[in-house]
Amino acid sequence: MLIIKELHAAVGDKPILKGINLTVRAGEVHAIMGPNGSGKSTLSNVLAGRENMTVTAGSVQYLGQDLLAMEVEERARAGVFLAFQYPVEIPGVGNVYLLKAALNAQRKHRGLPELDAMEFLALVKDKMKLMEMSESMLYRAVNEGFSGGEKKRNEILQMAVLEPTLSILDETDSGLDIDALKIVANGVNSLRHPERAMILVTHYQRLLEVITPDFVHVLAGGRIVRSGGPELAHELEKQGYAWLGSEAPEGKSSAT
Amino acid sequence: MSTAIAHYLAEFERLAPSLPWQDSPQWQAWRQAGWDHFAAGGFPTARHEEWKYTSLAALEKLRLPCGPRAAAPLEWDTLRIRALLPEARHRLVFVDGTYQPQLSRLGPLPAGIHVQALSTQTAERSAALQAFLGTVRARTPFAALNAAFMADGVWASAEAGACLEEPLLILHVTSAGHQVHHLANVVQVAEGARLTVVEQYLGLTDAPCFLNQVTSLHLGAGAALTHLKLQQEGAGTYHIGALQAHQQRDSRLESHAFALSGVFGRNDMETVLAEPGAGVVLKGLYRVAGRELQDFHTSIRHDSPDCSSEECFKGVLEGNGRAVFNGKIRVARDAQHTVSQQTNHNLLLSDQAEVDTKPQLEIFADDVKCSHGTTVGQLDESQWFYLRSRGIGADLARALLIEAFALDIVASVPVPAVREALEQLVRSRDHV
Ligand SMILES: Nc1ncnc2c1ncn2[C@@H]1O[C@H](COP(=O)(O)OP(=O)(O)OP(=O)(O)O)[C@@H](O)[C@H]1O
Ligand SMILES: [Mg+2]
Repeated sequence: MLIIKELHAAVGDKPILKGINLTVRAGEVHAIMGPNGSGKSTLSNVLAGRENMTVTAGSVQYLGQDLLAMEVEERARAGVFLAFQYPVEIPGVGNVYLLKAALNAQRKHRGLPELDAMEFLALVKDKMKLMEMSESMLYRAVNEGFSGGEKKRNEILQMAVLEPTLSILDETDSGLDIDALKIVANGVNSLRHPERAMILVTHYQRLLEVITPDFVHVLAGGRIVRSGGPELAHELEKQGYAWLGSEAPEGKSSAT
Repeated sequence: MSTAIAHYLAEFERLAPSLPWQDSPQWQAWRQAGWDHFAAGGFPTARHEEWKYTSLAALEKLRLPCGPRAAAPLEWDTLRIRALLPEARHRLVFVDGTYQPQLSRLGPLPAGIHVQALSTQTAERSAALQAFLGTVRARTPFAALNAAFMADGVWASAEAGACLEEPLLILHVTSAGHQVHHLANVVQVAEGARLTVVEQYLGLTDAPCFLNQVTSLHLGAGAALTHLKLQQEGAGTYHIGALQAHQQRDSRLESHAFALSGVFGRNDMETVLAEPGAGVVLKGLYRVAGRELQDFHTSIRHDSPDCSSEECFKGVLEGNGRAVFNGKIRVARDAQHTVSQQTNHNLLLSDQAEVDTKPQLEIFADDVKCSHGTTVGQLDESQWFYLRSRGIGADLARALLIEAFALDIVASVPVPAVREALEQLVRSRDHV
């Protein structure tokens, strides 16, 4: 589904990603861990199409298409979804408006009829129950004045409504209390599907206990320095990242 | 004498005999005073503090004939779709500077409410009118020029305690172009009375023309006036407006200004909080694109204690558009307990757009709460990205953010029908 090859990206003239190789197949859940500033969010944003991050080399294929050639909104309509590490507040734009416009843009792209207000509300309310969100949040401006945890839940609500093919969750678990973590995990697990894939960026084992990944990767210094199964996350939790330093392979570090 | 002044003088001499009430010596003197005041100063230049950022050079070069002229016949059905309040029960329609009774309608008015076109006033009533138009010498240059030429407009008044619930629509349509129009509106709201007045300036032509209007608002004790002015001028229209408001004890004025199109717009808005307890809310939204300019000079005079003013103007600038905002707040020495708030926020959507914004606070009292703030910013890249990352197209995402920026100004309009129409207008400009 997603094939990233030797991806290099920079912010300004500062190189951040220095040769990422990663293949994600349908049905898989990949966890990406790694120290602060290692480039996890940069990778997530590059995949979503953020324009202030320049891809300097490498390629990304998504469902056989050149992802990097697609506009931000085209990627979204084609099923790529990024749950932001820091969801953006947009005063003046209603949450419900955004959800509906997003869903209908995607449906239109897929040749499906747009949902009318009634159908849409029924769908959203259903998903909100799953997220244990109060309906009043629908009628507020996008993320405006939401608590940290509410913003993260709102991201997952959008994901639940849009049912993306490839979800990238950038530290959606950070800042969540234990109950909220369970709710978010339920939301995410409910979207697991043989035809969908997920990339979970996280610092914590506790998320991976509720959403078991198929693969765990360690991103350090702009490269994937280690890949393994769920047991790698345990090890990291115990030992931190320091021990990887000496073992980090130079150049090629691939995961399949 | 500059050639521009010579042109206007020739026009004044040509038209003076046919202007309303010219058989009255008071009116003759008043118009002459207007002319003299304008001619003495001439067209302001960049040397005038008030005109530092806005050049009149292009307007000065326009030598258009002045005064009303026979308008081409228009059908209400043509105007209805563009009217801000198509269903207004009370509307006065002017085309190319002249009152159009056949396009206007006035439903039954409650006792104590009077609405009439200026040109239909008798000489007797017009004497009282002059008092409300104020001293010509205190006027801005163009408001003085307006005194010389003014031939039509609306006189609306509410006697003590009278109240008109529905808004009164004053629709001015520029249809032929190649003409200078001078209009004056006088709104008088006596003690405890209430009125809502909507002025709409609609351009149906892109030909060059110059519209120079004055609106005088008088609020008696405890009076409440909601006023709205919308400029939807054609691409060749120069629009200069003066709003002069005078407020007595505990009166409340809410004025909303929307300058959405026209090659050149300049508004001088002044309100005098003359007696204790008076309050004013001034809101404004200007949009410029192409080579348009909008200039708002506002002045709020806190002359008495315990008055409040709340002012918020926002601007959206695209292309080579330019805007000027100058917000003067003057708090007199004994205007204690003044509460005053002023903000001006600008959204620049292109590198070529430009705004000059200047708060100008002159505070002579010591026990006051005054705040002000201005910002000039661009579209928030992270918000734009966020919307697009949800599948919303780049243009729609941009339009949504512009709308979100401008929305609170529109949302503050207290007349629901007008508010909804304005939402549509602001939206449609974005979606083009
Ligand atoms: N807009 C920017 N300008 C300058 N540097 C940036 C910018 N965005 C990211 N960086 C830098 O890129 C590097 C990688 O940042 P990134 O956010 O991808 O890290 P991360 O792995 O997600 O970290 P964290 O675990 O703290 O979220 C950091 O050194 C960061 O300072
Ligand atoms: Mg990050």
